[in-house]
Amino acid sequence: MHIPDNYLSPSTCAVMGAVMVPIWAVSVRKVKKEISKVKVPLLGVGASFSFLMMMFNVPVPGGTTAHAVGGTLIAVLLGPFAACISVTVALLIQALLFGDGGILSFGANCFNMAFVLPFLGYFIYKFIKDRVNSEKGEYLALIIGSYIGINFAAFCAAVEFGIQPLLFKNAAGQPLYSPYPLSVSIPAMTLPHLLVAGVVEAVFTVAIFSFIKKVSPGTIYEGAKKKTKAIYGLIVALICLTPIGLLAAGTAWGEWGADEISSVETGGNALGFVPAGMKNGFNFSALMSDYGIKGLPDAAGYILSAIAGVVILLIVFKIIGSLKKNKAGNISG
Amino acid sequence: MPEWLLKDENYIPQSDKDAFITKSIMTLLGVLSRIRAQSVYKEKKFKVSAALKVAFTFVLILLISISKSIAFTIIINVYLLAVLSMMNGEEIIKILKVSIVTSAFTFVILLPAAFWGNLFSSIFITSKVFATVTAVNMLSHSTRWNSITSALKRFYVPDIFILVMDITIKYIFMLGEFSLNMFYALKLRSVGKNKSKYTSLSGIAGTMFIKSNEMAEDMYSAMECRGFTGEYQVINKKYKMTFPDFVYIIMNIALILIFIYMERV
Amino acid sequence: MIDLTDVTYSYSGNIALKNINLHINKGEAVSLLGANGSGKSTFLKLINGIISPDSGIYKFNNEEITHSKLQDTKFAKLFHQKVGFVFQNSDTQLFCADVYDEIAFGPKQMGMSENEVDKRVNDCLTLLNIVDFKHRQPYHLSGGEKRKVAIACVLALNPEVLVLDEPMNGLDPRTQRWLVEFLIRLNKAGKTLISSTHDLELVQEISQRAVLFGEDHSIAADLPTDKLLTEIDLLKKVNLVDEYYHRITYKQS
Repeated sequence: MHIPDNYLSPSTCAVMGAVMVPIWAVSVRKVKKEISKVKVPLLGVGASFSFLMMMFNVPVPGGTTAHAVGGTLIAVLLGPFAACISVTVALLIQALLFGDGGILSFGANCFNMAFVLPFLGYFIYKFIKDRVNSEKGEYLALIIGSYIGINFAAFCAAVEFGIQPLLFKNAAGQPLYSPYPLSVSIPAMTLPHLLVAGVVEAVFTVAIFSFIKKVSPGTIYEGAKKKTKAIYGLIVALICLTPIGLLAAGTAWGEWGADEISSVETGGNALGFVPAGMKNGFNFSALMSDYGIKGLPDAAGYILSAIAGVVILLIVFKIIGSLKKNKAGNISG
Repeated sequence: MPEWLLKDENYIPQSDKDAFITKSIMTLLGVLSRIRAQSVYKEKKFKVSAALKVAFTFVLILLISISKSIAFTIIINVYLLAVLSMMNGEEIIKILKVSIVTSAFTFVILLPAAFWGNLFSSIFITSKVFATVTAVNMLSHSTRWNSITSALKRFYVPDIFILVMDITIKYIFMLGEFSLNMFYALKLRSVGKNKSKYTSLSGIAGTMFIKSNEMAEDMYSAMECRGFTGEYQVINKKYKMTFPDFVYIIMNIALILIFIYMERV
Repeated sequence: MIDLTDVTYSYSGNIALKNINLHINKGEAVSLLGANGSGKSTFLKLINGIISPDSGIYKFNNEEITHSKLQDTKFAKLFHQKVGFVFQNSDTQLFCADVYDEIAFGPKQMGMSENEVDKRVNDCLTLLNIVDFKHRQPYHLSGGEKRKVAIACVLALNPEVLVLDEPMNGLDPRTQRWLVEFLIRLNKAGKTLISSTHDLELVQEISQRAVLFGEDHSIAADLPTDKLLTEIDLLKKVNLVDEYYHRITYKQS
């Protein structure tokens, strides 16, 4: 569910980042109040747990594997506000230091995985758990919470993808970022999550939770003793929906109708981009043809191609050189 | 001694689909070796300040993202490859592996769109993804991570947040090594068909969580013993611009000017 | 049973094992000695097939063990059943919610009937003197109890070779004593034992043969244990002991 850079427009990224700022601020304040200032650095340990959880490969029926995010689990274990910060730090380290996931899209990724997923998952869990006073009820709450949490997060990502082609096109009408409209992005993102990733997340969440509960119940976060009011859940759901609504307002939902879906169904000539694109000569053979590059003066194009050639050769030689040096590099060590 | 222990086991194993163990081991090994590589970084001759690198990498990624011109994207790619060619062979392989895999993945994702006539977008976005991923990985491979995190202070990231990040990296390593050994143990003891894989996997994750709690408690006590009160200061040396910094700034300003020129149309 | 010819292994450029030649017969008890970082742990990983040699040959029961052979799950599973490994840190070895499940983990996979599994687990519990912990959570046991559970869950697979990484580490003297006696019994019952250790006092009790790793990651000596312990200059040379060592040996003799 990590959105890399260049799938979303910088303005979408900026909006998502701006939405996250108050959420982070509130989370930091809440956490400081709950665990005292001195214990704040301990969140680093939670963040590393969250990071490693995403590294685990979970078996999926059929012999292949999938990744779990564990957002709801971390919220249930550490509390939703601490979970928000932990997942944020884990995502930042992934993006900045491991080069995995986007820098600009960091805000959007945090919105989906550090806000929507843990908060929604946690509040659904808490809401059900407080009403059904049994152990089975608790597990059921966890299953529903984590399942809905991850699916709603995937849905948010899908909406972020899906509004791109409607909002950002170049003069020729070609989409500049993710080219898929909502009618494609929503089923493409949500179906695999509804059918596979959501189930994996729910099963994994419950299994880990029950292990910890059996072995070390004292380590699990104790939320407020009093029942969460139903209205709370509603507010959270609304908060989740607001920014998406803002983004989508006037552009996405209105146009996401019959005509768009039908244009996808017509296959080849979908969305009417073909003629415009072709007329303007934006096809691959033209990009580098005759060692010249569109949009550059001929001479500059030649020079650029020459530099590219030399540099690529250099890289190839260096790779060959270092492969020779440590051949039989053992991967399992 | 029970009797069965005295004779050799006559056992023919069944096969089992437990690729998740090996895959998790590989992923964890990747993460650990990435962190371990940090400790052996040699001092480079041509050393640009980390804060500058972080700032201009961000600017570069922003420009790539905003750009509507494929020519600009190509210039940036050539520029990045040129800088990459100055790094050593092993680093080049590591960086290119990630860039190529990510952009190939992007291209496959965008392939249907290409068939619908959006060939331009598919190639455009793929080349942008290649540039962005290369830029970030070059930053992270060529700079000590603790100088990246402390460079964040210059952008007014709170000190306590930088401390949390540093602790996270350290504990990713420690807990990572711990869970790696658990996966090894699981692998060595998986001598047949495991009917409850989720139980084993959640045992590892759960133990890791309990362990992390224990480690956090220990760290808290240790910090308190050393007089930690919740205040933390990242100390950055006084900044003096060096010759490499100067060259780096000029190069990046040139890129920004090219950007302005190319996007003018 | 175990045959290594010119085995070399390195971690991303750093040599960890250099030209290792070693032959271990069935039923032997061998100790590995060496300073920290001399390659003992890497050697144990290699014996267990967690890593495979960069160059050289590792043969188990006359069959070469290679990386590609271990990719074949059936082959790997059979190999892992025959060679059992007790990790240095018992915490990493235990991932089940109670001791019974922990020990039953292996036998259950081997396709035994419910009764057989139950018998095996109970035998192991009795053998290691941990019947009382049957339904406790391994995570909360003491260090010594954890070590016993870890050994029990490996023994339940009935391996031919038992490999132990620093088995005496972190145990109180009484538990150490118990473990020494237990390992001697296992060896007498026909199990091949390979253990790494720093404990020069116990080493001659648990093994007849000692292999000394030098700081250059190769084998510095391979002698009967009593003999090796008298080669004080050699032990000093590999930085395993300092000049005060003779007092201990003196006291012992």
